[in-house]
Amino acid sequence: MTDQQPGQVTLHPLADIDQVIHAPARLMVLTYLYVVESADFIFLMRLTGLTWGNLSTHLTRLEEAGYVTIEKEFKGKKPHTVIHLTEQGRAAFREYKKSMKQVLDDLPD
Amino acid sequence: MSTHVSLKEAERKAFRTAFQDGLWDIFIGCVILQFAIAPLLSRRLGDFWSSAVFLPFWALAFLATWLVRKYVVRPRVGVVKFGASRKTRLIRFNVVMLVLNLVAFILGILAALTFGAVPGWTYPIGFGLIILVGFSVAAYFLNFTRLYIYGALTGLSPLVGEWLYVVMKAPHHGFPITFGATAGIMILTGLALLFRLLRDYPIPTYEPTSEKEIG
Repeated sequence: MTDQQPGQVTLHPLADIDQVIHAPARLMVLTYLYVVESADFIFLMRLTGLTWGNLSTHLTRLEEAGYVTIEKEFKGKKPHTVIHLTEQGRAAFREYKKSMKQVLDDLPD
Repeated sequence: MSTHVSLKEAERKAFRTAFQDGLWDIFIGCVILQFAIAPLLSRRLGDFWSSAVFLPFWALAFLATWLVRKYVVRPRVGVVKFGASRKTRLIRFNVVMLVLNLVAFILGILAALTFGAVPGWTYPIGFGLIILVGFSVAAYFLNFTRLYIYGALTGLSPLVGEWLYVVMKAPHHGFPITFGATAGIMILTGLALLFRLLRDYPIPTYEPTSEKEIG
């Protein structure tokens, strides 16, 4: 703190921001999953406006981080993918919200 | 805008997708259509059967909208399960609607018992107000904003009908005209929304993107 120049704003909390969540597309996906119990792949695709491939890539990244679970099942002969937010994902999203709010609140007008 | 508000809005946006297919508009329009057609049938079938004949029609309309939702809409817009807060809101909605229906039922009995003893405008005003409150409560709890407009249109129908009857001697208290127009607006709105959804949301086809999937 002693190194800080006059007028310089400390942005240390930004370094702690979860980069998995911080990507706009993944943030959008997590925001919707945070407010519902579960959603299927097509619903998320429509709501976020992401393409099939894009959403698939982001969901894989979120699954690897342990933030979502992806259940694949068959309805008749058609595959059906249901996505849930895990407890870890919910906690990480809450933490992200808190960190971002702190960073933005601390910024001067 | 605070984070809290945007999360609420995200939940509302997700929930509102349930009404973007227009199927509820079509179904409610079919229900309202009864008030337009039943008076035309009452002379031939009697008061009871002219209304009762609509039960299988409603059942058919419900079955048709359910089938369209399952086989046409869901493959295009997907499926979502809502969280505890939305489920609580739906329970509150059901309780309020139950109370409202009981009040309407009691008022209906009172109206039948006092028929002729109160001024003629009392019934259409009372009927219209109950409809307006019912639709508004549903619109509020379901975040289904079109219901406010439908509530206003349906609530005004008995009043305008009575006015048409008094001024222009419209048959059946003007119900076939006013309720018919209201039902028509709902059904046409629903059909327009359904066709827009079919146009804008084709059934997505699977596109393998990763190297592993492409092989």
